Amino acid sequence: MAPLARAGAPIPEASGHFVSAASLRKRADWFIRLRWGAAGAVAAFTAAAAAARLELPLRQLAAAGLLLLLANLGYRARNRATPPRDMADELLWVKLQMAVDLGLLMLVLHASGGVENPFQFIVIIHVFIASLLLRGGEVYRIAALAGGLYTLLALGENRGWLTHHHLVGAHAMTHETVYVLMSLGAMWLVLLAAALIGSQIMAHNRAIRDELLERQRGLEKAAEAQVDFFRFVTHEVKSPIVTAQSAVEAGRELGAGALPPEADDLLGRAVARLQQALAIVKDLAELTRGRMGVPAASLPVDLCLIAKRALADQAETMAARGLRAETDGLGPVTVLGDEAMLERVVGNLVGNAVRYNRDGGAVRVRTLREGRTVKLQVADDGIGIAPEDLERVFEEFYRSAAARQASTLGTGLGLTIARRFAERMGGTLSVTSRPGAGATFTLALPAAPEEP
Amino acid sequence: MAKQTVLVVDDDIDLVEIIRVTLEKEGYEVLDAQSGERGLALAREHAPDLILLDVMMGQVDEGFQVAYALRQSDATKRIPIVMLTAVGDRTGFSFDPAKDADFLPVDSYLEKPIGPRQLIDEVRRHLPARI
Repeated sequence: MAPLARAGAPIPEASGHFVSAASLRKRADWFIRLRWGAAGAVAAFTAAAAAARLELPLRQLAAAGLLLLLANLGYRARNRATPPRDMADELLWVKLQMAVDLGLLMLVLHASGGVENPFQFIVIIHVFIASLLLRGGEVYRIAALAGGLYTLLALGENRGWLTHHHLVGAHAMTHETVYVLMSLGAMWLVLLAAALIGSQIMAHNRAIRDELLERQRGLEKAAEAQVDFFRFVTHEVKSPIVTAQSAVEAGRELGAGALPPEADDLLGRAVARLQQALAIVKDLAELTRGRMGVPAASLPVDLCLIAKRALADQAETMAARGLRAETDGLGPVTVLGDEAMLERVVGNLVGNAVRYNRDGGAVRVRTLREGRTVKLQVADDGIGIAPEDLERVFEEFYRSAAARQASTLGTGLGLTIARRFAERMGGTLSVTSRPGAGATFTLALPAAPEEP
Repeated sequence: MAKQTVLVVDDDIDLVEIIRVTLEKEGYEVLDAQSGERGLALAREHAPDLILLDVMMGQVDEGFQVAYALRQSDATKRIPIVMLTAVGDRTGFSFDPAKDADFLPVDSYLEKPIGPRQLIDEVRRHLPARI
């Protein structure tokens, strides 16, 4: 059975055993490898027959083996030269290969005793192969072709239309009509049974596969609908917040100087909380986008530059709180990543280091290179994180009690987004902390390959 | 001296009111329209000095359509247009009038929420006080 489509990839329409011409080709390539073995077996049989001085037409046997080898070289050359595109094309080739295989097998059997050769049951293997590659009716057609060719061979040798080559001794079962008829009956019975069982097993597999595909499609549709709904919700929620914020700001401006200071302070608080609500909605939208699987770019980006920009963005706040930036360990390092995502991640880490720092503390940013990994560390002298909260800070909406006390205005989503973005770029985001003495966040990303 | 006139086109009636109050206090005359169609009619009738145009009204790109229509008419094509929008957050795109002049026929672009100081500064930038 062909592997199920990878999650996230478009799910192809299933037809036959294979979801695509490419997966059929993969299986056909496997049979090409098997065929080398078959050609080898014919060669070995020919050599053994020669060594045992069996009175068989060795040239005919060798020719059959050689033809099989040449045909297989042809199939391989064709498959290497033509990418799998059209399912019907691939199926046609597969059927052609099966017909040629059966023809050559009959040639080998004919040259090695016909119905006397116990290897005659190799014919049946071809029906099982057919049931792996083809669907119901076509499997029976291959079985009929195999049975028909075998009947021609057996009757032809029995009736004297074809020369019979004795496998052993002079007594030829080939001329015992009752034996030949029984042999034919047995062959047909097993061929048809093989076709029936093989196609039933494959139909069962197909049904399971189709059901899984159907479910996967349903799940993806539901996820898409959810994302659409969510996008709608965030937009609808954002509009009133935006208008409310503008209204309060305009009201404060109109009342400037005339409002009691307490009233102005309250309105200021309202604006701050509205800004927070807006930030949460924006973060949620971003988180949804991240979940949707908007692909992350993988381009060389100078992490040092991103860190410096993030620090510059915070310069005003840092100055107001007497914070200093320590960037001695910050050197130019190039990572593979998505610039917009990196700005978001590093901006969040630096923003947190500022927000949760103690007044007069330091924000230390440094870069490290460890083999093929580049690390960016952002450390602060702030409140730190209790051991039990270390992993929880990455959970959606989780804000530790200490964080809530330090600042009411976080969204509770920044680190969730930062870690998710880091992971999308093939990296990690982790944290260590000494409570009360600060926290160190480490962003690890794949290094960009060195310039030649 | 006649007051300078600003036309506000936005389907959010509260936002229109906020802008009106803010700008009237600064001495501007404010006209408003809650649809693109009405906005176009008012622009042709009154030839305002500046138009504040919301990008997303009934349809996602109604604001853009209005901007194009304004630019195509001789009577209105010289009126500066300031586009108001929250579209950047929704689609992840942002516009730069200098870079996207062909695509975006407006003079500048303000992202909501817009504080009163920011709004007044933007309007003054386009409408230097008449002497």
